[in-house]
Amino acid sequence: MEFLQQYGFLIATMLQQGLLGLSLYAPLMAGQLSLASPGFYAVGGYIAAILLTNPAFAGWRDSLGYGIYPLTWLLAALACALLGLIVGVPALRLRGIYLALATIAFVEILRVLSLNLEITGGAVGIFAIPQPFGFVDRWQYLWLFLPLLILTLLFFRQLSKSRTGRAFRAIREDELAADAMGVSPTRYKVLAFVIGAVLAGIVGSMSAPFLNTWNAKQGTFDASIAYLAFVLIGGSRSMWGPLVGGALLSALPEVLRGLADWRLVINGLVLVVASLYLPQGIVGSLSRKPKPPTRPKPPTLNEGPSGPPYTSETT
Amino acid sequence: MELSGFLQNVLNGLAIGSVYAIFALGYTLVFSILGIINFAHGAVFTLGAYFTYTLISGQFSDNGLLKGLNLFPNGSPLAGSAWGFALSALVGSLLAGVVAVIIERLAFRPMRTRSADPLLALVSSLGVALVIVNLIQILVGAESYSFPDGIYGNLPPALLFHLGDKTIIIRTVQVIIFAVSMVLLLILGWVIGRTRTGKALRAVAENPGTASLLGISVDRFVIITFFLSGLLGGLAGTLVGSSFGIAGPYFGVTFGLKGLAVIVLGGLGSIPGAVVGGLVIGLAEAFVPAQYSAYKEAVAFALLFIILLVRPQGLLGQAQIQKV
Repeated sequence: MEFLQQYGFLIATMLQQGLLGLSLYAPLMAGQLSLASPGFYAVGGYIAAILLTNPAFAGWRDSLGYGIYPLTWLLAALACALLGLIVGVPALRLRGIYLALATIAFVEILRVLSLNLEITGGAVGIFAIPQPFGFVDRWQYLWLFLPLLILTLLFFRQLSKSRTGRAFRAIREDELAADAMGVSPTRYKVLAFVIGAVLAGIVGSMSAPFLNTWNAKQGTFDASIAYLAFVLIGGSRSMWGPLVGGALLSALPEVLRGLADWRLVINGLVLVVASLYLPQGIVGSLSRKPKPPTRPKPPTLNEGPSGPPYTSETT
Repeated sequence: MELSGFLQNVLNGLAIGSVYAIFALGYTLVFSILGIINFAHGAVFTLGAYFTYTLISGQFSDNGLLKGLNLFPNGSPLAGSAWGFALSALVGSLLAGVVAVIIERLAFRPMRTRSADPLLALVSSLGVALVIVNLIQILVGAESYSFPDGIYGNLPPALLFHLGDKTIIIRTVQVIIFAVSMVLLLILGWVIGRTRTGKALRAVAENPGTASLLGISVDRFVIITFFLSGLLGGLAGTLVGSSFGIAGPYFGVTFGLKGLAVIVLGGLGSIPGAVVGGLVIGLAEAFVPAQYSAYKEAVAFALLFIILLVRPQGLLGQAQIQKV
């Protein structure tokens, strides 16, 4: 118990951030780099915060008791699924960096809206959010985040074995070929995007009471980047990568607490060094599976001068 | 809208839009050569403003750091004159260019030689931005700074034009920003379009492999590109900082994001596109009515989202060709 008193909050934070890393991993399963997770996370959190504090819903809270909490999760999931569809269907016509930029724009627009709307509390945000199920300590959120994490991992494992998961992988490896084989890229890309949106929304609805306050700082570009770093540093090829990356990178500032001012600088250096020397991510570097044979790529802009693009094998 | 109000908005929009344009050019130059987005560009923007401020003021008020480093201490002939500011701005921007070259060397080149996933370059450049911004915070603190009054010398603070009974006010700094930006754009256009260096740059942008076979040192042109990009970013920071003040170490973050909107709007990697995109976003922001000014920050992103859906290649970009 003493251990939990001391480290429970940190562990709960690590799981929470790992879950957010997984929400970015979902669209990545189908090869889509989306940075929209913080937007859905913020929306989920606002839904929970409004339902739990706004006087307009006092009647619901009285009649439902603790039942209001599962309701916030459900509503957050539904709202984010719907929003994910609305944004995803047009946005997923874009590829690569364009999709990333469109989702950054989506997050920024949501941020400006939440800074200025009355219902979201403007710049101050919403505070004094009541704790679910009579929680008194924040480590008790492990009872929410741990089951959600286990369910999510089981879901992703089953998904990757299913027909849908194989379709995701096919699109990730080669969208045109997948299309030619009768796999509808749009349908599966939107599905992967919505899965990520729903997960981020549920995590948001649990996190609003966890953080006790919710404001426009929850869904920002910085957060987009943090989650992207989770996935890339942990490893983007397996569901364990985002989890490990999220847990480690969110623990880093805590571990470095003694260094006070310098911890963000070191955090930045870790990002640079890790992306230079761990290109497969931590999990990717640990698993020593032989690399699948890759198709020789046509020369692109990104190829450096050393290692000429045309080797004797391709000519 | 009345004619005078309309003209006023156009002038305001052109002034800020031209800074967006030169800032965004830095992004787009790097993208056109390397095919990556350098997220540290916003941090270089911030650094440029801080460099110039240091050279002019000689110290940071709260901790006396860098005391006596000013280019023109009191009493020297250029102190407090417009030429003094121009020289400080030039040196400050050159320093920002040097920093951009160092960033390339440390964070991009090791990755380039292994032709790693461009996404990793993105994370790496974000790491660099995090380091720079927090180093500034540690070294000079989180407070904001305003440039000393009179940095533009004896020029009047504003020009007034009368249109019937209405008055149009143009701040001198707006005229300077616009003029400097336009001259810079013309020079850059000439360098890239007409000179040997420009030709080589375009060849590298087209195909680095073939360019190196033709005897062009790609490394050298990547360094030139980063230097130019840092110079433009730093100058944009100096111009914005000198007219609105430096809002602390996070000064360049929002600007960096808006710069992304600018280059996508114009067409990723397109140099005229960055100029058009910058002016369009500057004008669009200037026309947001006062009562909705809180939503001004979202204008660039709303435009970005719309253009991506309607015309993903941007206003002046070429459509991507799908290779089968």
